[in-house]
Amino acid sequence: MLKVCASISLFWVVAQITSHAQGYAPVGAPAGPAPAAAGMSAPTGGMFESNTFLEMASRAFDPSSDSMDFENGSFAWKGRTFNLTSQRAFRARFERFLLASPTEEEESYAMLMDDVLQRLSVANDRSDDAILETWEMLFRAARFDTDGGNSTIVANQVFNAWRIRKEMRGTALTQRELADMRRHQQTVVANRALMLEKLKEKKQRESVRMTSEKEGNSEHTTFPTEGAFRALELAETEAKLIAMEGQAALTGIQAKLQMQSQIVAFLVQRRYQHALVLSGFYQLLFKGSQQQLEVGKGELKSFFPNTDMVFTVDMMAFVANEAITDVNKGVVAVNTAYAEDRAIIALERLQETFFLGEYMPELNAIPVEQRRLLLDLYRDMLEAVELAEAKDYNGVAQYAERIALIAKDFPKMRVLSSVETAKSMSDMAVFAASQYRNLGDIDKARAELRQAIDIWPSNPSIREFQQETTKLATAGSQGVQIFDDLYQRGGHRGIYDRRMDLGFALAEDPVRRPLLMEVIEQVSTIDLLVAQSAEALKQGDPYVAWELLAEAAKFDPNDAPMNRARAELAPRVADFVVYLDRAQRQAAEAQHAGSLAAFLAAQDIYPASRMCREGIERQSSALMAQLSVQAEVAEE
Amino acid sequence: MPPLKPAKPRKPASILIGFSLLFSLLAVALSSGCGDNFSDLEVLPTESYMKKPGDFLGNTYTIRAQIDSQVKWEKGVGRILAVLPESGGSRLPVFVPDEVGGNLHIGQRYEMRARIEAGGLIYVESLRKY
Repeated sequence: MLKVCASISLFWVVAQITSHAQGYAPVGAPAGPAPAAAGMSAPTGGMFESNTFLEMASRAFDPSSDSMDFENGSFAWKGRTFNLTSQRAFRARFERFLLASPTEEEESYAMLMDDVLQRLSVANDRSDDAILETWEMLFRAARFDTDGGNSTIVANQVFNAWRIRKEMRGTALTQRELADMRRHQQTVVANRALMLEKLKEKKQRESVRMTSEKEGNSEHTTFPTEGAFRALELAETEAKLIAMEGQAALTGIQAKLQMQSQIVAFLVQRRYQHALVLSGFYQLLFKGSQQQLEVGKGELKSFFPNTDMVFTVDMMAFVANEAITDVNKGVVAVNTAYAEDRAIIALERLQETFFLGEYMPELNAIPVEQRRLLLDLYRDMLEAVELAEAKDYNGVAQYAERIALIAKDFPKMRVLSSVETAKSMSDMAVFAASQYRNLGDIDKARAELRQAIDIWPSNPSIREFQQETTKLATAGSQGVQIFDDLYQRGGHRGIYDRRMDLGFALAEDPVRRPLLMEVIEQVSTIDLLVAQSAEALKQGDPYVAWELLAEAAKFDPNDAPMNRARAELAPRVADFVVYLDRAQRQAAEAQHAGSLAAFLAAQDIYPASRMCREGIERQSSALMAQLSVQAEVAEE
Repeated sequence: MPPLKPAKPRKPASILIGFSLLFSLLAVALSSGCGDNFSDLEVLPTESYMKKPGDFLGNTYTIRAQIDSQVKWEKGVGRILAVLPESGGSRLPVFVPDEVGGNLHIGQRYEMRARIEAGGLIYVESLRKY
C-alpha cells in the first residue's frame, strides 16, 4: 500500500510540476514539501544554470543601448536623464520610425526650419521687418505634420511678448499723466497746509485776549476737512502710480518667464530646433540684462554639473546645438556600423540616436532598406528574449541562427553553448530523478525533477520520465508476484531485466528489496564478466575469455547470455576445457590425484591459467593430507 | 676281471668354475628377486592414464621422466612432483615417499618404478637417475 501511495504521489508531483511549468495549473497550488537538498546533479541548485542562461540571453539579445534604462524609464545623455516612458511605448515609436520612409514634405520642412534658424542668427539682418518676416515663417512651418504645432507655440510666445511690450508703452504714458497729477495735488495740499498754519497763529493771538469764547465756530470746523480731502486725493494718486508701476514690472517678468519656460520645455521634449528658434526670438525681444535664466536652472544644472556659472538663455541654445550635433554624429555612426556588417552595434546606436533626435529631420539620412533590416533584427532579438525568458531553448537556438544571418557581429556560439549547457543540466537532473525513483527515494526524485523542470520546462525527457512513472505506478501492484515467481524459478536474468519496474514496486518491501538488490548485483557482475570475456576474445586470448566465463558461471550457471557466450567460445578452447572438466569432475569424486593430473595437463595448455593454479594448489593439498593420514595409520 | 681303476680325484679348476657359475646365478637371482630391475616393467601409458586413472589401480609401471617442479612436500610423508615423461604427453603428478627419495632436483631425469594407488595416485617405489 505504501508503494502504491508513493507511486501515485510521484506521479501527481510530475503532473503538477509539469503543468506549473507550462502554465496550466494555478501558481498558488502547493506541490508538496520542498526537498532539503537540491540534489546531487547540481549542488548549486537548478536555478543557477537557469539564471546564468537568462543573464547571458538578456545580454546577447538585448537590442537596447546601455544608456537606455527601461526599468526606470530613463535615457541618459551627457548626464541628463530624459523620460523614456515604457519600453512598449518606445518600441512602438521606434518601430514606426523603422517602418517609415522619408518624404518630400519632411525635406521641405527641414529646409524651412534651417532657414528660420539662419535668419535668427546674429550675423543676419535683425531689422523689425526681417524679424516679422521670420515670425511669419513660423506659421508656414506649423502647417507641416512633422512640426506638431510647435512652431505655432513659438509664434504665440513671440506675439505675446510683443503685445506685452505694447501694453507697457501705454502704461508708461498713463504713469506720466498720473505723475503730473500727483505733482499738482502735492502743490495744492502744500498751500493748504501753509494757510492753515497762518490761521492757527492768528487764532492763538486772539485767544490770549478773549478768554472762554465759543470754540466751535464754523470756519474752524470746515477748514481741516478740506485739507484732509486733498490729502486723500494725493494718496489715491500715489497708490495708482505705484500699482501701475508694479503691474508693468509684473507683466514684463511674466512674459520673460513664459518664454524661458517654453525654451526649457522644448529642450526637455527634445524639440531642439524649436528651442533654438525661441531662444533666438528671446534674444531679440529682451535686452542683454534680461538673458539670465529665472526658470529651468535645474534642467541646465544637469547638463553642466559642478559649475557655479550663471545660467542664461544662450546656454539653453548651446545644449540644443550639442544635441543636434550628437544626432548627426549618431546617424553617421549607424550608417558606418551597418556598412561594416556590424548590425548589432548599428541597432544599439540607432536607438540612442533615435531617442535623442526623434523629431530631427537628420534621421532621414538612414536609408529605408537599412531601416527594414534593422527592424527585422530588432523584432527577432525581442522575440528571442521572450523565448529565453520562457526557457524555450530550441526556439532560442533557432532565433540565434536567424539573427546570426542578419547580424554578423551577433555572438551566436555563446548563445548556442549556453543553450546546450542548460539542456544538459536538465537532462542530468531527469536522469538523477530516474535513478532516485528506481531506488525508491521519492523525495530526492521529486527534487531532481523539479530542478529539471526549472531549468528546461519543455524538456522532452521530462515527458518520458512521466510516462515511465505512470507505467511503473501501474505495474507496482503486480511487482511482488512477478518477483516471487521469478526468484523461485531462479530466473535471475528475468528479474534483472525487470529491475526498474520491480525496484519501484519493491521500494518499501524490507524482505524482497535486499534480494532484488542481490540479484541485480549478481547479474550485473555476470554481465561485466561476459563483457570482459568478449574483450579478451577480441584481443586473441580465448583461454582468458573462458576463465572469465567460468568465473561468471559461479554466480549463476544457468544464465542464458553467459552460457551462450560459453557455447560460442568452447570450440576454440576444447582441449583446455576437456582437462578442466575432467579435473573438476574427479575433484568432485575425491579423486585428487587424477584431478591433479588433469589440472597439470590443462596448465600445460595455458600456463597462466588462474583456475589451474588454484586447482593444483587445492588438489595437491588434499592429496597430501590424504597421504599424511595414510602414513600415520601405517606407522601405528 | 679287470681290476677296478681307482677313482680319479676331482681337479681344483673345475671346482673353481663351478663356484663361479654358482655365484653368478646367485647374483642374478638376487638382483631379480629384490625388485630393482626396471627393465621388465611396462612403461605407464600416460594418455590412457590421463583419461581414466581408475583403470590402472594396483598396477606397477616404470616411468622415465624429468622433474618439472615440486608441487607439495610434507615432512615425514613425502613430496608430490610434477614430472615430464620421456614418452611425451602432459606432465604427471607423482608421489615420492620420504624413504624413497633423496635429493631430488628440478631438471633431473629419473627412471621410476611406480604403482598406481587409490585415486589414481602414482606412487613411486624406487627410482634411479639415468
